Amino acid sequence: MIFSAELLVQTLLSGLMVGVLYALMALGITFIYSIVKTINWAMGEFYMIGSYIQFVAVHFLLGPDWWWLAAILAAGGTFLLGLILEPILIKPMYARPLQRRDDYATVVTIALLLLLRNLAVALGGPNQYRPESNLPVVWIGPLPQEGARVAASIFAVLALGTFWLVIKKTWVGLALRAAAQNRVAVQTAGVDVFRLDAIAFAIGVALAGFAGALLAPLFMVFPTNGAVTTVKGFEIIVIGGLGSIPGALIGGLLLGLVESLGAAFISSPYQNVYGFLLVILVLILKPNGLFGERGREA
Amino acid sequence: MAPALLHAEGLTKRYGGLVANNAVNLSLAPGEIRGLIGPNGAGKTTLVNLLTGIETPDAGRVWLADVELGGLGAHQIAAHGLVRTFQVARIFESLSVSDNLLLPFLAAGSPGGLAAGLARVRELLALATLSALAQERAGTLSGGQRMLLQACAGFMVPSVRLYVLDEPFAGINPVVKDTLIGLIERENRNHHRSFLIVSHEMEIVRRLCPTVSVMIEGAIAAEGSLEEVARRPDVIAAYLGRSAA
Repeated sequence: MIFSAELLVQTLLSGLMVGVLYALMALGITFIYSIVKTINWAMGEFYMIGSYIQFVAVHFLLGPDWWWLAAILAAGGTFLLGLILEPILIKPMYARPLQRRDDYATVVTIALLLLLRNLAVALGGPNQYRPESNLPVVWIGPLPQEGARVAASIFAVLALGTFWLVIKKTWVGLALRAAAQNRVAVQTAGVDVFRLDAIAFAIGVALAGFAGALLAPLFMVFPTNGAVTTVKGFEIIVIGGLGSIPGALIGGLLLGLVESLGAAFISSPYQNVYGFLLVILVLILKPNGLFGERGREA
Repeated sequence: MAPALLHAEGLTKRYGGLVANNAVNLSLAPGEIRGLIGPNGAGKTTLVNLLTGIETPDAGRVWLADVELGGLGAHQIAAHGLVRTFQVARIFESLSVSDNLLLPFLAAGSPGGLAAGLARVRELLALATLSALAQERAGTLSGGQRMLLQACAGFMVPSVRLYVLDEPFAGINPVVKDTLIGLIERENRNHHRSFLIVSHEMEIVRRLCPTVSVMIEGAIAAEGSLEEVARRPDVIAAYLGRSAA
């Protein structure tokens, strides 16, 4: 391996580009947790649904020129699905005693994971699909980058920006920030906390669906394609701290960088190992994650 | 007698073998400031939780004017104009002081427009002497300021008719107490709002509340002026312990 500044820049760049997509996934997990107080284990399946919507929309309906519209449809579709599923599946959790909530949510979302995966097999078969992409190679200085990859990371940054605007500048965002701190007080302020739960869940899964749509031309479309991204999402949550939004963003970028640097300068077959080494390091030094404030309540 | 603003009938709440509220009846007139006193563990906070939908009673019914509140969520009860504070101020620490106040107004659908809400925020912050801290994170406030902020947040619910304050004066300094008392008196006078004030501070209860209800062992044991109820042997016994009876 010959070290060169060019290779270093390219490696850092591709690490950051995949990092923002990881961050999108992790943000969805951590955001749902911060409001609904539950971990959605079916997150990767919403990523998978997003990628299928992208494929169907590009391949059958819109054509590759309209890939960005397809990605917005994928985000919108998964948002609606989340809005419908949350009151049916997650809300009954709050009718149960506190100590059983985690168990309930775990079982229900894992059941949802199995249902959605098998539904994808039943509808599309075990095949791999790939939505066409006609985006040209982008030259960043002397460095070539796959067009779909550059486009995916730009749109991921736009999605993160939109999320930030909604949370900081709208009244729903204000209510969500308040609910993340105190679910009871937000009700006495006149806010329907169960409606907020549905909105938060929908926003979270839409982030996953959008990531799935953006990455579909790169990582393919098949029933279990969400599994790897879910694992990455949870790695980032451990790194950044559960419930922390800055933790999800910085953890995502960090994981992307570590994987990409490790692959370029150490050995590429072990790409997935470097992330886990980072996780172990964080667990040793800061067990609650870089931005985690406290452990989970029992 | 004018129709009651709040009417609770037979409210009962059990926790396992403990009967925290035993068939509690309570009526408040529009514009009334009522005190709710009683020894620790008498069930005052449970009653507040039942009235405001934080907990569901095992039996009994509550009406706010002509609306029955049974089965409504806490946010719906707030929208009907029955709001509350908590003993430990539940403010949103990472939000700014003014966003803490804006939230209940926005949740109510911003009647009269955002400008009206912002004007009300400024008015309340000035009355609570918190104007200088409007853009600070609420987490930076002192204990007394948190209590004031929490109280102001309830006044931001545009439809508020009955405000239940659970121990609003506990552990706060005399200046903040006077500010809060002034705020209550002003809202009562200018907007004809009713209050149910849970407190151990007898001087303040005497000053604010023409009528007090005394809760003992989960039931309302006496009602009347503070002087009247303080003379009753059962009330004295409850405060001083069984042996005094």
